[in-house]
Amino acid sequence: MVVLREGICPGLTEDFINALHSEDIKTVEDFVSCNPEELAQKCSLSYKALVVVRRVLLAQYTAFPVSGADLYQELLSSTAILSTGSPRFPPAHAFLFNMHMYIAFYITLCCLVFSLDKLLDSGLYTGEITELTGSPGSGKTQVCFSVAVNIPHRLKQCVFYIDTKGGMCANRLLQMLQTRTSNMEEQMEALQKIKVFRAFDVFSLLACLQHIRFNGLQQASVGGGSVKAVMVDSVSAVLSSMLGGKQNEGMSLLMQVAGELKMIAKDFNIAVLVTNHVTQDGNGCLKAGLGLSWSHVPRTRVLLQRVEKPGVSSSSLRTATLTKSSRQPCHLVEEFDLCNWSEERNSESGKRKLESS
Amino acid sequence: MTARVRTAENGAQVVSRLEGRQSLKDVEPNIFPVDGGPGQVQGGGLEVGVIIIDTDHHFDMLRLVSILEGRLARHSRESDGSETEPEEGVCSCLRRLSVVHCSSSAQLLLTLHYLESSISVQPSLDLLVIDSISAFYWVDRYSGGESIACQEANMRKCAEFLDKLRKNYGIVIFATTHAIMRNYNTTSDSGLSDVPGSSSSWRWKSADSATDFNKPYLCRAWQRIVTHRVLFTKSHVSNDHKQIFSAACTSIMTKGVKKCSFNVIEDGITFLCDK
Repeated sequence: MVVLREGICPGLTEDFINALHSEDIKTVEDFVSCNPEELAQKCSLSYKALVVVRRVLLAQYTAFPVSGADLYQELLSSTAILSTGSPRFPPAHAFLFNMHMYIAFYITLCCLVFSLDKLLDSGLYTGEITELTGSPGSGKTQVCFSVAVNIPHRLKQCVFYIDTKGGMCANRLLQMLQTRTSNMEEQMEALQKIKVFRAFDVFSLLACLQHIRFNGLQQASVGGGSVKAVMVDSVSAVLSSMLGGKQNEGMSLLMQVAGELKMIAKDFNIAVLVTNHVTQDGNGCLKAGLGLSWSHVPRTRVLLQRVEKPGVSSSSLRTATLTKSSRQPCHLVEEFDLCNWSEERNSESGKRKLESS
Repeated sequence: MTARVRTAENGAQVVSRLEGRQSLKDVEPNIFPVDGGPGQVQGGGLEVGVIIIDTDHHFDMLRLVSILEGRLARHSRESDGSETEPEEGVCSCLRRLSVVHCSSSAQLLLTLHYLESSISVQPSLDLLVIDSISAFYWVDRYSGGESIACQEANMRKCAEFLDKLRKNYGIVIFATTHAIMRNYNTTSDSGLSDVPGSSSSWRWKSADSATDFNKPYLCRAWQRIVTHRVLFTKSHVSNDHKQIFSAACTSIMTKGVKKCSFNVIEDGITFLCDK
């Protein structure tokens, strides 16, 4: 709703506005919806002035069409696909580190992100929102860390990480970097390219996203490089408390957050990665949280789950299932076994298609 | 998947016109019932100008181009048996396409008014696609305060203006809406009380039922101008692990519901039903 005020366009003087108010026209939408001829007869304004103001207001407030051919050329030159993890053949010294830490829960997720690229059709696409869903402890934050570390280290680009749960741990980022390179300078350089924002309620999240959109992205960060990914971990932590009951405010805020994320992704060619919790539907199947309205927002959705093995109380195995994608058939699953370390072995024995459930 | 089919169920509503500009009958004979489609037939590719209004930044140009390339390659193979250069074909198609991004219902309304002048000077422009028209539903409901009329004001004006565009210029309008409202009143055999919202009075039905999510929730003015309504749902996974989707079309011109199912493939969609 754009209220008619003096000065928002040339020709819109106070008298003009008062004349319009007498006809109960207070917003630009009302004004544009009226026929200038009828309006000229009803109030004391000239038809010509009305037509001119109408044209100027329309030019100011409408969105302009872009030719499909131009849009396509622009997309071809600006879309990038960001890998979520290390390359297919990790260097030898990284392999040794993996062997040393094989008991650690987290290392499986380093393996996870090799195969996650396959699920995502080579990686995170810029201009799109990708969602990771899973129950607590399924590894969503660790995947986010891995992406946050991989982009600065491998691609030398910056990453914005919005933490809404307090789960950001710089030591863990450093640990992940140390498995990729032992050069201290490289590690510090990569860490400098990760910018962390904290927002613990939806209004701060919105303010943060708007700040990023209007100021943060234009500024080059320390060490150069442009921002290529924005991660929000997690979006449901701030939104799920606002939903429910008969209030519309929660749904409206949800759609506003969605709109901001989409605009950031599209306008700045950034890959947006968000995490979400899961709920169960009537049949007991897991589905993403935040309801149906949110489910239309991300372009791609991956469900992370623990693998339950009988006799083992806490396993570090995880599966990633593709549940929504516009490029790959759904229900692709990648499973990760602690014993398999190299990328080739993962691709041969680790990948399985899920039987129809 | 095509840009307009989402993995959650959704409904698509179509407003159409029967004469005037080059019309789009048989634009999808599998979806629309015979003699119940939007207009008269023209052969082959229709070569009409299209405006796509993208309200939730959902439009996937790269996917559209890959579908176009597949179609053009198939068409050139079938017609003259040669593999012609797809790029020029794609470029000439894309030149007929315009894409507009709107970020609020007020902007949508103003953009429609602005586009009226483009539509009036370009007689080859036949199709307006709004994807999706329900994108601002929740934001409008909240910003309208307590009064329903105020909440629906922009949507009502858009609907009235779209009807005017349809009548005056004879363009075909496709709009998509997300199915986000669960239809609580369809349980006829549950024998429960009719109070919606109370947790004891509805029984959770499987989400595969097509009637579960087709509750129309946009304003009355919009419901009035819709002439064809196609409901898309995810139906089942076939034996070779492919997800099958189904579309059920109702229109004011014919009785009954025309159903069909389709698969989504690299080049677009393939229909599984026989006419």
